[in-house]
Amino acid sequence: MKEVIVHPERCVGCMQCMPACAVAHSGSGRLVSAVLELPQPRPRVHVGVGLYDEGFPNRCRHCDPAPCRLACLPGAIYRDPKTNTVLIDPERCINCASCAMACPFGVIRYHEERSALRGKTVAVKCDNCIGRQIQGLIPACVEACKVGALTFEERDRALKRRTNEVSRRISFSGEEPRIPGAEGFSLLHTLKRTQKEMNELRS
Amino acid sequence: MNITDTRQEARTITRDGLLMLARAEREHLNTVWDRHEAQQPHCGFCEMGLSCRICSMGPCRIDPFGEGPQLGVCGANADIIVARNLGRAIASGAASHSDHGRDLLEVLLKVGEGKAPGYEIRDPDKLRAIAAEYGVPTQNHDVLQTARELAHAMQEDYGTRKSGLQFLSRAPEKRRNLWEELGVTPRGIDRETSEMMHRTHMGVDNDWKSLLLQAMRNALSDGWGGSLIATEVSDILFGTPKPVQSHVNLGVLKADHVNVVVHGHNPVVSQMVLEACQSPDLLALARETGAQGINLVGLCCTGNELLMRQGIPMAGNHLMTELVLMTGAVEMMAVDYQCIMPSLGATASCYHTRMISTSDKARFPMMEHREFHPENAAEQARSLIREAVENYARRIPGKVYIPVEPVPMTAGFSVEAILDALGGAPTPLIEAIKAGKIRGAAGVVGCNNPKIKHDYGHVTLTRRLIERDILVVDTGCAAVANAKAGFKTQDALQWAGPGLKEVCGALNIPPVLHFGSCVDNVRILVLASALADALGVDISDLPLAGAAPEWYSEKALSIGLYFVASGVYTVVGPTPPVTGSMNVVKLLTEGLNDVVGACFAVEPDPEKAALLMAARIEDRRRKLGLTARSV
Amino acid sequence: MRHVIIGNGTAGIHAAETIRSLDSEASITIIAGETFPPYCRPMISLFLEGVVSRNQLRIRPPDYYDSLRITPLSGEWVRNIDVKLRRVMTDRGREVPFDRLLIASGADPRPTRAQGSHLKNVSFLRSESHVRDMMDALPYVKRVLVLGGGLVGFKAAYGFLRRKIPVTMLIRSSYPLSMQVDPFAGELLRRELRNNGLDVRVGVEAVAFEGGDRVRQVHLSDGSSLNCDLVVIGKGVTPAVSFVPADRIQMDLGILVNQRMETTEPGIYAAGDVAEHFDVARNTRWVNALWPVAVEQGRIAGANMAGRTVNYAGSLSRNVIRVFGLDVLTGGLVNPPREDGYEEIASYDAYRRRYRRLVFRDDIPVGLVMVNDIEQGGVFLSLLQQQRPVGGVRNRLLHPSFNVSQLLH
Repeated sequence: MKEVIVHPERCVGCMQCMPACAVAHSGSGRLVSAVLELPQPRPRVHVGVGLYDEGFPNRCRHCDPAPCRLACLPGAIYRDPKTNTVLIDPERCINCASCAMACPFGVIRYHEERSALRGKTVAVKCDNCIGRQIQGLIPACVEACKVGALTFEERDRALKRRTNEVSRRISFSGEEPRIPGAEGFSLLHTLKRTQKEMNELRS
Repeated sequence: MNITDTRQEARTITRDGLLMLARAEREHLNTVWDRHEAQQPHCGFCEMGLSCRICSMGPCRIDPFGEGPQLGVCGANADIIVARNLGRAIASGAASHSDHGRDLLEVLLKVGEGKAPGYEIRDPDKLRAIAAEYGVPTQNHDVLQTARELAHAMQEDYGTRKSGLQFLSRAPEKRRNLWEELGVTPRGIDRETSEMMHRTHMGVDNDWKSLLLQAMRNALSDGWGGSLIATEVSDILFGTPKPVQSHVNLGVLKADHVNVVVHGHNPVVSQMVLEACQSPDLLALARETGAQGINLVGLCCTGNELLMRQGIPMAGNHLMTELVLMTGAVEMMAVDYQCIMPSLGATASCYHTRMISTSDKARFPMMEHREFHPENAAEQARSLIREAVENYARRIPGKVYIPVEPVPMTAGFSVEAILDALGGAPTPLIEAIKAGKIRGAAGVVGCNNPKIKHDYGHVTLTRRLIERDILVVDTGCAAVANAKAGFKTQDALQWAGPGLKEVCGALNIPPVLHFGSCVDNVRILVLASALADALGVDISDLPLAGAAPEWYSEKALSIGLYFVASGVYTVVGPTPPVTGSMNVVKLLTEGLNDVVGACFAVEPDPEKAALLMAARIEDRRRKLGLTARSV
Repeated sequence: MRHVIIGNGTAGIHAAETIRSLDSEASITIIAGETFPPYCRPMISLFLEGVVSRNQLRIRPPDYYDSLRITPLSGEWVRNIDVKLRRVMTDRGREVPFDRLLIASGADPRPTRAQGSHLKNVSFLRSESHVRDMMDALPYVKRVLVLGGGLVGFKAAYGFLRRKIPVTMLIRSSYPLSMQVDPFAGELLRRELRNNGLDVRVGVEAVAFEGGDRVRQVHLSDGSSLNCDLVVIGKGVTPAVSFVPADRIQMDLGILVNQRMETTEPGIYAAGDVAEHFDVARNTRWVNALWPVAVEQGRIAGANMAGRTVNYAGSLSRNVIRVFGLDVLTGGLVNPPREDGYEEIASYDAYRRRYRRLVFRDDIPVGLVMVNDIEQGGVFLSLLQQQRPVGGVRNRLLHPSFNVSQLLH
């Protein structure tokens, strides 16, 4: 079964996954009209800033067991076994934020949502673009990402690729860039890290 | 218990900055640092120069990891996209400096026509010397006629008719020949910018090396063109700087005076404001209002212009411009153009400060527009200062906060002033370099950038350089940083290495020489040319290095490139948006050495930058047959 | 294998489900004193507030017991446990034998010492039946008196205030929720409630209630009196252990359990509000009578009862409430003792009314208070649960941009 896999070392912080996600959950499905909808659609993937000002696409991991599901007081959080998606029923949600306490990744947000009653604030998180998947499309964040920080594939396949990368690096002599084929990105990241550490540590 | 203290300390090394940041926090005023944080993470495509918005078939981006799109819609690859973006940045920077020069020429012309009341020719000798350079006859011509004809001649440099700029003749012959061979001799100031914009249009220049060569030519049209004209005409109109004593940091504001701040770049505005601030009737009005006088202070480059020529004190550099308003002691800030943050109006609205924009080219949110032209500038300045004096009564006494004492400094080191200090010729300096007492010279220039702890880059680098007996000359925001750190007094010799201490002590100059504003970077080129000619070598053979440890602006990119193109090795702190193409990176940081005898280095850590510059200087010494140290 | 579970609260329910998922053959019996089917106790204050209906309190479908093949004994209370003979006795005289026993009887509200507490409309707020009775009284209630500023009293007060009924709250500390929040957040809360109609009296106790057919007035320890039509006693809970043989099963405040949720008597387990385990933030034994703690303890007890050895590292107190314009999320040891080794960092943005405070023991975060901007609360609580040293990241924790990626290096 395919799932969304995150490769954080590739995130360039362009944040395109965020508007793509929001638009995918809008009424009109198009950016220009989505921004005018009420309630305004919001992303379920959140690009956070790392220690060295790099980007990180933070999304629900659809954990099993899901701490949010166990913590949910009214039992509004459930699992769709076919796609291994943890979903929140906006009807049952009482906006108590028990799931905020439970989620170790901080990916749940609380706002109005077009699938909930008008005026009701509910807990909202990634739904694996289950609606798009039914139509044979891939999740919107994956489609938007042009650097391969978000992929939609079998977990084993992604792990196998990573194993191969590690083996190649070990069998290679000499300095390898952190990510093959992206010397410039490595260079930029090193320089940004130097700047950040310098600002914080030196006086 | 509050964690925010360490956060502020990560932002600046200056005491006045720290105290004002604490005030900003208390008063819920947002600053450039807050906005910088809110922008994180920056988009990596743009940071690497890999995004292109030039045409409507896009916008496009290239995946640095090689899997996503590798070509824009038009077919441009990473090298082309990075080079095009860099080219446009250079065009913008060069255009800014050159437009500044153009406005000065307009005043020079109008002075010659008698249509610029309040302006005059303060250095007629320089006028005549430069007229001679341009082949403008000066005998039997009065000053005003010379001014008109020189203005016209210089305006020609901006256009399409020439095949080379006049001031190029000041560069060593070897250097000029090199530029000819490379095809980068700038032909016209506006022309090179125009051609850069043309070449970067979709489907024109699609060779990344060719684009970079045009960028070099465009930058040279700034360094040996627009900026040099700006500096020389400013000297003609307002006087060539001589060593002058002054003060720097927020403490230059005076609680018992009407405080007027000038910000921006062009002395055509700030000089007129100065005249008004010194006029007896307005001073009398100020005293009637209860103030002790009118205190004019400067920010950024226009502040540097007034400092160099009249010793007007400097309140701060780029990252201090919002903070100066938060002292609650500014009656009026008058701005013209460049480096003026559009946030200033909102910050000022929390205090009684009047914000005035003066240039038809530059309008800002929440500022009143009072346009200056050569015909009305003097009068416009007077009415503004009158209103500033009236605004003194609206000051809220409880809100005034000037928490520091100003730091003394010496400024005013034009090339003429240095030669004067050396006895009329560069010989003593050359002797000192040959003897190894002074290893060489370094130019520390450029802006501030919240990516680098405010002033940390400039001050640390300068300190390490003078420790190694390297004479430092500085301009722009870097010069303000170094002055605030106390490097511009004789006391600063305590931090200099033994050789530098001896020479500067004997000449009675500080170890760090304040060269002026950012257009005044050309003074460094002029001095370097003079030294090169005296030694019979090219600029790239001299034990020189340059640095922009905290640059932010496109102007800084242009300056950096014209320095490198002129043969000066230049280290920059923040990373320019070129890492998307390792080809471009390698050319800029290695390849250019073989092409123009100098290249760039990118090093955010000023400790390491100092080593790079010292290594270059010692290497050039060795090649000149002088004593060389290992670094 | 016969599993018997005392109590159909969330600890008991989750234990039963875990046993069934691991063992499809074993027999499971749940003995429950309350007749209402399994429901979410923390939600009763929302029921009081009028935000959810009684039916929405239920957390399991009507055929729950049947579908899991659980034998429920409803409305029946356990009176004694015969450890030697391995059977429990109920108040209906029934004897229920067991191979494995789980005591998940929960906790009972602490009574008040004031006189006249037997009067009608003087009540605890522990079960849904308490709320039903309160709602019957609503039509004539003009003022509510709440004893105690803890979670129960607080939620009671909030529920009535939302119904626009004035409330007087008597608390011992100078701010409500003194066990959950620090003085700073407590003051923010007190002000928010006061601005919305709550009358807080500090250091004042109820001495006696007066009234005929129902409570009408209360006499306070400062000599004053107050009219009130309904009294909610929220003075905390104490584990329900009256039926537990103290000579065989060791207890302190609650029933002591080891890492497998087992009591000092092998084969007898305890979980939920009745159990006393190790609190990772306080670094000592503690009863954390909280819903998510009961859930995790029930699951672990159930796994061990079904023969899978699973260890429980310890519990962490945590709470989140939304009160008018403030969201408050807390966890761990919020008010540390004045000892060496404890440090605190905090930041307050008055403009956005955003407060964040962390307590450290050496390099390990042990306490958390957040007011507004609570979305990252779980990230912090996970650090507290893991007892994970933070090192240099400490400077980032208070910042609005803090997120889990900053912990990943």
